[in-house]
Amino acid sequence: MAKSYIVSGNPHWHSPASTQKIMLDVIIALCPAVLVSFLFYGWSAILTMAVSVASCVLLEWAITKYLLRKSSTIGDLSAVVTGILLGMNLPSGISWWIIVIGALVAIGVAKMSFGGIGQNVFNPAITGRVFLLISFPAQMTTWPVPHGFIQSVDAFSGATLLGKVKELGAASVADLDYLHTFLVNIGGSAGEISALALLAGWIYLCCRGVVKPWITLSIFATVAIVAAIFHAADPAQFTGPLFNLLTGGVILGACFMATDYVTSPMADWGGVLYGFGIGFIVMMIRYFGSYPEGMSFAILLMNMTVPLINMAFHHKKYGR
Amino acid sequence: MNRKTFSIGGIHPADSKFAADRPIEVLPLPDKVYVSMSQCLGAPSKPIVAVGDKVLAGQVLAEPGGFIGAFVHSPVSGTVKAIGPGKDLAGNRITQIEIDVEGDEWAPGIDLSPELVTELPDDRQVILDKIKAAGVVGLGGATFPTHVKLNPAPPAKAEALLINGSECEPFLTSDYRLMLERPSEIVVGAALMQKALGGPVCYICIEDNKPKAIESMQKAIDSLPYKDILVQPLKKKYPQGGEKQLIDAVMHRQVKSGALPISEGAVVQNATTSFAVYEAVQKNKPLVSNIMTITGNCLPVESQHNCLFRIGVPLSFIAEWAGGVPEKAAKIISGGPMMGKAIANLDAATVKGSSSLLYLSEEVTRRRPEQQCIRCGRCSDACPMGLEPFLLNKLYLAGGREEELEKNAAQDCIECGCCLYSCPAGIPLLDNVRQAKVQVMGIIRARAAAAKAAAEAAKNKN
Amino acid sequence: MTDTIIWTIVILAGLGLLLALLLYFIAQKFKVVEDPRIDEVEKALPGANCGGCGYAGCRDFAATSVNDEGLTRHFCPVGGNEVMKKVSAILGYTIEEKAPQVAVLRCNGSCEVRPVVNEYDGVKSCKVKASLYSGDTMCPYGCLGCGDCVAACRFGALAMDPATGLPVVDETKCTACGACVKACPKNLIELRNKGPRGMRMVVECRNNDKGPAARKACGNACIGCGICVKTCTHDAIVLENNLAYIDFTKCKLCRECEAVCPTGAIHGINFPKPLDKDAVKARIAERNKAAAAAKAAAAATAVKPEAKEEAK
Repeated sequence: MAKSYIVSGNPHWHSPASTQKIMLDVIIALCPAVLVSFLFYGWSAILTMAVSVASCVLLEWAITKYLLRKSSTIGDLSAVVTGILLGMNLPSGISWWIIVIGALVAIGVAKMSFGGIGQNVFNPAITGRVFLLISFPAQMTTWPVPHGFIQSVDAFSGATLLGKVKELGAASVADLDYLHTFLVNIGGSAGEISALALLAGWIYLCCRGVVKPWITLSIFATVAIVAAIFHAADPAQFTGPLFNLLTGGVILGACFMATDYVTSPMADWGGVLYGFGIGFIVMMIRYFGSYPEGMSFAILLMNMTVPLINMAFHHKKYGR
Repeated sequence: MNRKTFSIGGIHPADSKFAADRPIEVLPLPDKVYVSMSQCLGAPSKPIVAVGDKVLAGQVLAEPGGFIGAFVHSPVSGTVKAIGPGKDLAGNRITQIEIDVEGDEWAPGIDLSPELVTELPDDRQVILDKIKAAGVVGLGGATFPTHVKLNPAPPAKAEALLINGSECEPFLTSDYRLMLERPSEIVVGAALMQKALGGPVCYICIEDNKPKAIESMQKAIDSLPYKDILVQPLKKKYPQGGEKQLIDAVMHRQVKSGALPISEGAVVQNATTSFAVYEAVQKNKPLVSNIMTITGNCLPVESQHNCLFRIGVPLSFIAEWAGGVPEKAAKIISGGPMMGKAIANLDAATVKGSSSLLYLSEEVTRRRPEQQCIRCGRCSDACPMGLEPFLLNKLYLAGGREEELEKNAAQDCIECGCCLYSCPAGIPLLDNVRQAKVQVMGIIRARAAAAKAAAEAAKNKN
Repeated sequence: MTDTIIWTIVILAGLGLLLALLLYFIAQKFKVVEDPRIDEVEKALPGANCGGCGYAGCRDFAATSVNDEGLTRHFCPVGGNEVMKKVSAILGYTIEEKAPQVAVLRCNGSCEVRPVVNEYDGVKSCKVKASLYSGDTMCPYGCLGCGDCVAACRFGALAMDPATGLPVVDETKCTACGACVKACPKNLIELRNKGPRGMRMVVECRNNDKGPAARKACGNACIGCGICVKTCTHDAIVLENNLAYIDFTKCKLCRECEAVCPTGAIHGINFPKPLDKDAVKARIAERNKAAAAAKAAAAATAVKPEAKEEAK
């Protein structure tokens, strides 16, 4: 034989899927929500996300190059996804140095110190956000008034619906227009505005086979059921299921943060349990906690249980 | 009829059956053939001819080396030139018989006429003996001796005979062509095996991406007088043709870990094996030829072939006959892209189980650089055995975790390649899981041996 | 206030005492009586836990050696004779000294002499590679070059040489624990006696093919010609399956085999001077001539007795 041929074990070809393509799909799925935040908050929203993405990518590059001295992993686009998600979880127009600190915690502490992609215990973007929420409570809960291209007439300025409930009680939002809230939910993080845009992205991910719907559906179902029970018991004190599904970070968290591969269980039924845990904890925080919103905390808490869930739930094996 | 498929995992690789419309051609005879003694699962066969002997095509060259073993026959007529060491397609040492080809004279008693013989022998033992004498082995890939499989030790009894025509591997078309061109022979072969097994229902299983084959087989069944032979269409999904998957798909039963299919009342035979059984029993013709697909992603359709080759012809001869190895080929594979073996030595001779010569180009076959696992779970979603390849990979790499590997069923791996195919991070899962399987099989065997020794010792005491 | 403090102290102290007593009694009840010599032996061992002795680590070695009769089944290859002396002193046995050994690679198929015909693409592991095919070259017996032996070595004594593609043993670090021997799927590594001042003779090949095939596969292969066997005056070389093997217990390091080997498969290691092949060949030729002359003379004198014997 003149030419030398390759020899390797089977299979001899592979599917087109790659880490990079998966991350690209997530980025595409986030685009509608990013677009909506641009429409409402204008360039400041884009700037927030740009700073966040840039600092995440730069930090990962610097850490792999100078600290770990490994080949760079920024090509897999996971840092970009973390950056966008972090940016979406911040009030648009927040100071740039706060974003950089958030990125440092997200990439440096939550991701790279555990060994990079695939090794982290906690979702990096949420870790970053929670760190900022605790460190800079004032800046993190000062929601800007929309000043972009579309200005909602009845915009809540400076407070989220959930914040309002915490202060004024459930009755204050009794006459809410839910269809409007579904489309436009002003007052909150840059990425939380439109439930429709987020769900569109999530459905895209499901169709592309990037994520499985069980975790998200389980969170939605748990939130709805818990809220329904409490609301039925005392409508004056506890808000209803629809309100709790549409407000705050439930949709963003359930669609994009809780479904993070690394920090969610592998088996389908494990995912259902994980989703139940998140839904239950977020409702407990909302009803009885001191914070108006608890999605980030709920996801972080359930992240810790993932290794245990993975141990308990396995795939159905053939012939066993 | 309703289309069935197996219940766990599976993937949908691109069909790529480029050679599907190429009719079966007969390969010319080379100057020399090299008949390997390691042509079936089990012990190598023992040569019974000597150097200098004149042999006829179809004459016995070697006898089985053990209970699980098969006769080997001469594919050509000529002179035995040498019996000695040779290399198989992986470059490993084997014993082979080298024969100088001198014409094509067949041993007496072999019927070479094309007439279809539909009359079945009355005695099942006659059928089994003829299959054994003809050296028929499973041609679906595992090359397990067919007569052993068709004669299950009581009390096991076959409830269904599955003729596997699913050919779920991409690129391969040899079974498909045979089902189009010789459907009646396959049906007679199926009827023979049905009789040998004591008359179970026989399903001819074909994936729905081959409607012509389904139609052709149905027509053949309708025109022949046999009872209880049905065509079972299946949904296209890899690895449908895996024995365990086929049983799950058609019978909705799952073979227990470590057990044989017969424990669930199933016997699976490949469609080409069925054809070989027909030739062996009805025509007294031993297994000396098989059908091979010459295909690839870097080969124009007009250079792709399905050919009837004599077993023992060197692979390089077939490659030359088909127009040489294409320039862009980076890997040559014997078998399909999912489970085939990469050929390290193209000078090796074909064996009974050879079913294709597949050329893949650099860009599709080169492994991607390994990245870190992102725990997406695609490997376990794809695994048709419901295993968790990422976990087995991790345990294997940690070293010394055989017990945990066994608990997580590493020994159940069927090496179908779904995990590595679907991994987005390019982690060589199957390479490692295969080793893990070897380790676990080692401890299982050691345990069985220890238990046997203990039982023996207890017996001796009494 | 003071009352609270006093009560706190009293209750905590009492609780502490109670729990301490509980722990004490439990410890007494479940006490495992162990031979103290096990600890002593373990301390004397190098503590590498390499498993080179065949036991599961140093502790296992210690425990089994204490319970065994004699030390015939126990030898620590890492610690060598010195450690074994200590162990035998603790246990009160006397042992024979073993010659120090070293890992030796029995393949010299470097990149330039072994034409590559295939390219491997997969896990960098000899074990995986060996399960797939015979290797990248025509030699199905030679080194696969993925470095399983290097990975197995716990003492950093092995490294791949990028120029030859073969592993190199660092003799100062090698403890002859045998981990690499087990790791090599081609069984290319052997533990051999180090020899006087490290000098030893090795056939660096394991190719069982006949001459022409072996030669085609690798320029440094042993072709099984048997010249070394004929030349050796110490009966130290055996030829089996077209492959020469030097018995290190019989070899007297005369280097004659190395001089006559046509392919250079035989190597002398750690000799102070390079081999003067011509001088050795001349010596052999002279000896052969003398032997032939002696034989002829012997034949001449032996004719008569033989004839006599036949007559009987």
